[in-house]
Amino acid sequence: MFIESHILGAWFIVLMTLCIFSYLYGDNPFYRVAEHIFVGVSAGYIFVITFWDTIWPLLFGRLFPEYIDAGYELNFLYIVPFILGIFMLCRLVPSLSWLSRISIGYIVGMIAGLKFYVFLNSNILLQIKNSAVNLDASYFSIINQFVILFGVFSGLIYFFFSKEHKGTIGVISKIGIYFLMIKFGASFGYAVMGRISLLIGRFEELIAFSTKEYNYATLVILFLMVAILIYWSFKTPSLEQKNLKG
Amino acid sequence: MKNILLKLGGLDRRIIFVIIGLSVLIPLLMPNLINFPVQTTKNTEIVFNEISKLKEDDKILICFAYGASTKPEIHPMAIALLNHLFTKGVSVYIMSLFPEGVQMSKDAILNIEKSNLFNLEYGIDYVMFDYKVGGEVVIKNLTTNFREVYKQDINKTSILDIPIMNSVNSIEDFDYVFDFSAGVPGNQEWVQYACDPKNIPLSSGCTSIMVTDAIPYVESGQIRGILAGMPGAAEYEQLVYNFLLQERNSGNSNINIDADILRGKATSRMSSQSLAHLFIVLFIILGNLSYYYIKRNQEF
Repeated sequence: MFIESHILGAWFIVLMTLCIFSYLYGDNPFYRVAEHIFVGVSAGYIFVITFWDTIWPLLFGRLFPEYIDAGYELNFLYIVPFILGIFMLCRLVPSLSWLSRISIGYIVGMIAGLKFYVFLNSNILLQIKNSAVNLDASYFSIINQFVILFGVFSGLIYFFFSKEHKGTIGVISKIGIYFLMIKFGASFGYAVMGRISLLIGRFEELIAFSTKEYNYATLVILFLMVAILIYWSFKTPSLEQKNLKG
Repeated sequence: MKNILLKLGGLDRRIIFVIIGLSVLIPLLMPNLINFPVQTTKNTEIVFNEISKLKEDDKILICFAYGASTKPEIHPMAIALLNHLFTKGVSVYIMSLFPEGVQMSKDAILNIEKSNLFNLEYGIDYVMFDYKVGGEVVIKNLTTNFREVYKQDINKTSILDIPIMNSVNSIEDFDYVFDFSAGVPGNQEWVQYACDPKNIPLSSGCTSIMVTDAIPYVESGQIRGILAGMPGAAEYEQLVYNFLLQERNSGNSNINIDADILRGKATSRMSSQSLAHLFIVLFIILGNLSYYYIKRNQEF
């Protein structure tokens, strides 16, 4: 009897999802197995994708165009990143690990230089420009812009540590805290919304795989997992009991 | 009442998990039981209006930078956007900056093809590129020489043999950039490295958790509207659904007249989202009251 691959895949999806959900009951072997599989698969997947989609065509495709047809011509300049990549791998050899500092130095310097201009332009200059109040706008818009301007100002005063936060500066920095708290509250609300969205996605798949087409994968695995967890919780002494015995 | 609130303070957290789980599950199992209306917000309307301004044969670069974990939030936006663009006859260029983004983009295109709404031809109406590692470095390189970064499409066909690629040399050849992001690289990198320096209009659809960080760019106009998580997806789906119906009735030649126009998935998920939020708000209020009474009892 052959099992179709998509049904096998569905059973595996359900098993992994329920294993992760089982953490809501408490730490247990199902959760730990799923966690280790996830970390291993993710690392392996990223490694393979990076090698075959990037290093192979972009680097080897330019160094050995006769053997690797990635649409590039021979370019000897790419020996530099090839050597820097090998230096990075030298971290694995203790006596040669100092070579990796050259590669890390290049990456840090390059990213810092790249970030400096774009951050200054998009996050400082343009944001300051757009914090200015446009007095030609409607009354509501002008009030709104003043609130934003005051929020920016009071938030910056809160992070100004060269003068003690007393008197006027203390009051403004306290108002700055309220603006920051509103921001954190909004972030928390959005974070909750994101997590619920992910839960909806998982539930939709569990519902889809609970049908006869998938041999009731969700129901069967859920029943088995609950039964094993009940058995396991009776067999394993709880943390409190362990502490008492200890 | 006070005693109930005091007891609630010691409630097993697993009971709360079960209640939240049921508040999500029940509307999904019985979609007609609870139906919360979807109201469109300003930022979603900005995205819709900006995309609606694009003309036939304009070029849009879409970046898929999300994976399976954030698919429920972002994927409905991607499908709605592609429907919107293909209705208008815009040329679509799809790239990916997340390893799973390729799979997401293939799935979105497959969904569009299965709907049978459009007669699409690969290489003429749209083109897809493979995942590129490097994040912001890839974005930066696209601004200098697009053809050097993408020599081949996703099927390893040279871009010289793809008709839609004829007039694309750098990112400035695109009329619009749309970013679907669930982390880094995301809309911030597109603003900083490509769209601000080259003055190209950009909109974004992102996960809920990224919204508060992206809003300053939206308020300043550096990002033209944002689709914020699942509610943003549901609102945009609603607008695109009405637009598709209107265009089909007005005889738009890009749409197959016999095909069914279906509502997207995000709209149906919003009942679960809203109900779960109601319960969370309720638990926050009860938790705070309980905390207040427990603290007061300890003081006396």
